[in-house]
Amino acid sequence: MAARLREPSFTSCSSTFSSDTDDEGVRGTCEDASLCKRFAVSIGYWHDPYIQHFVRLCKERKAPEINRGYFARVHGVSQLIKAFLRKTECHCQILNLGAGMDTTFWKLKDENLLPSKYFEVDFPMIVTRKIHNIKSKPPLSKPIAELHSEDTIQIDGHMLNSKRYAIIGADLRDLCELEEKLKKCHMNAQLPTLLITECVLIYMTPEQSANLLKWAANSFDNAMFINYEQVNMGDRFGQIMIENLRRRQCDLAGVEMCKSLDSQKERLLSCGWETASVVDMMELYSRLPRSEVMRIESLEFLDEMELLEQLMQHYCLCWATKGGRELGVCLYCY
Amino acid sequence: MAMAEGERTECAEPPRDEPPADGSLKRAEELKTQANDYFKAKDYENAIKFYSQAIELHPTNAIYYGNRSLAYLRTECYGYGTSRLCPAPHSRACWTACGGGASNQPSSLLPPPPQILVQVKDILSKLSTLVETTLKETEKMTVCGDTHGQFYDLLNIFELNGLPSETNPYLFNGDFVDRGSFSVEVILTLFGFKLLYPDHFHLLRGNHETDNMNQIYGFEGEVKAKYTAQMFELFSEVFEWLPLAQCINGKVLIMHGGLFSEDGITLDDIRKIERNRQPPDSGPMCDLLWSDPQPQNGRSVSKRGVSCQFGPDVTKAFLEENDLDYIIRSHEVKNEGYEVAHGGRCVTVFSAPNYCDQMGNKASYIHLRGSDLRPQFHQFTAVPHPNVKPMAYASTLLQLGMM
Repeated sequence: MAARLREPSFTSCSSTFSSDTDDEGVRGTCEDASLCKRFAVSIGYWHDPYIQHFVRLCKERKAPEINRGYFARVHGVSQLIKAFLRKTECHCQILNLGAGMDTTFWKLKDENLLPSKYFEVDFPMIVTRKIHNIKSKPPLSKPIAELHSEDTIQIDGHMLNSKRYAIIGADLRDLCELEEKLKKCHMNAQLPTLLITECVLIYMTPEQSANLLKWAANSFDNAMFINYEQVNMGDRFGQIMIENLRRRQCDLAGVEMCKSLDSQKERLLSCGWETASVVDMMELYSRLPRSEVMRIESLEFLDEMELLEQLMQHYCLCWATKGGRELGVCLYCY
Repeated sequence: MAMAEGERTECAEPPRDEPPADGSLKRAEELKTQANDYFKAKDYENAIKFYSQAIELHPTNAIYYGNRSLAYLRTECYGYGTSRLCPAPHSRACWTACGGGASNQPSSLLPPPPQILVQVKDILSKLSTLVETTLKETEKMTVCGDTHGQFYDLLNIFELNGLPSETNPYLFNGDFVDRGSFSVEVILTLFGFKLLYPDHFHLLRGNHETDNMNQIYGFEGEVKAKYTAQMFELFSEVFEWLPLAQCINGKVLIMHGGLFSEDGITLDDIRKIERNRQPPDSGPMCDLLWSDPQPQNGRSVSKRGVSCQFGPDVTKAFLEENDLDYIIRSHEVKNEGYEVAHGGRCVTVFSAPNYCDQMGNKASYIHLRGSDLRPQFHQFTAVPHPNVKPMAYASTLLQLGMM
């Protein structure tokens, strides 16, 4: 595929972009994550009847520490989302930025926990694929149609817009484009809004991710931001991960922000967010309810606990809030 | 990677053979000569073809089988079917696995992998569950811990410490497969040496030489990808016959995991274990493969969820009761590649450096001399390896963490 450089935009709210081939490596991580999640689901780590419609089941096993890691990630993010939904009594919006093949919308609908509207954003190529899956699989399209008041749902190239669900193809580094498209899909800046980035910010430069975080803080009066990504990347483990990914043409452009738990917290606070909390995944794992832990640990035998610990210590879950309304969330309250 | 002095990238000449007897045997010899030529030209597929034809005419000539096996081994070492040329490290392993020392002619050549397994199983099944070895005053032995499919690091051990031979005996203390991407290469190399030096090359079973672990941690997937499911069944059978412990000069006891969940176990109890099975969930066989030492006295529930952790008092009592000096075990990754615990009575040796491309640990091996059975540690670090796309391999970072 020929590399096409996007034309640099001359408006004030954007910066120059990397070529499409650079992004290819990043887009590849969508498949990696989806495959891993589907595999973990197939073993029984958590319930998700929708992921099978988005990604194949890989023949090769994933290592138990990977499965446990994904369990902790999915569980942690889900707990935060549900806490936000409960706090706002579902009168809110959710913006899942870099959502990939995420299935949260469908799972929330099953639990009667849908926000006023659920938005997903990702690269146009990924969104096109997701829309195709949605259109061709009734278990995915029916729930959307059911919630839609008119007969036809607006589908337009890289976008699907319905009453309660919208998915938008856009570049998260082009905030003008992003905002414009969200507004086109009737995003309401007055509603309390939850924004989620799950392994997303690290793929853009510190400047680009700061712009995104600032834009989010400025756009909404009451909001929460959930960020899941790497942390403690200054050590050898981090170096090896960076090297491995570089060989796959996947550049961790934002790894500088992933130095420590403090740096992850700081970057949120310095971008206009009022409160920020961060926890590494090993700590999160150790605080999971014992019954859940026993259940998942009995699914697969883990031979080396050290591998899990080391892996989990290099990922963190952060959440930040702003707005007069108290959106403080306790991650460990069940 | 530097090549050992005297190594040739081509394999050693196939050895001389018996003179042809009659017409068909003469024809067989001609076919063999043609096959040899193909071999020299590195056209292994044709070499195999012509050796096979020679075998059909003269099925009892061991040399034909041996030569053909060598050709098979050369093709098999490529692993990913990309070319006919063995990359240097592979060819060295093949060549060494065939018994070529730096200057020796191979005394015998190895059969194809399935037959390697059958013959190894034959040898192992005749061993006691507790192997007893004597090291004479002038002799030494090298004890290695977990290698976990890290083939290039295994080759590095042979580079640093010399190839196995009657004068350079080795013991590999289990966990040869799983996690690393080259488990098949590792195990076939180790089994090859077992066939070549059965009394000077020792293999003990680790907890990863079991079906449950192979299913999850990559070996089964790797064997299925590189061979067949039946081949994995064969590996599984061979693993069941691996001895569980080895005693050197009646003084040093070696096992993969550690000591026992109950007091009073004797060497005789170990000898009597019927080992040709998958390990049970508890009991001495399970403990030998799974337990870990702990710093505090007594025993605790294992952090692994199976077997136990045993304290210095347990070790002391066991050693005294069995008139032993100390134990050597593996099973746990150690930053320095080894650890001495329990006041010197419990030694851990781990031979997979930078375990899983992630831990950044050193590895080590132990020299034991017949004259002085105290362990001498030699550390080493990881060498580069091909960036193999993980198939069923369970290398965490090759799976890119959690993206």
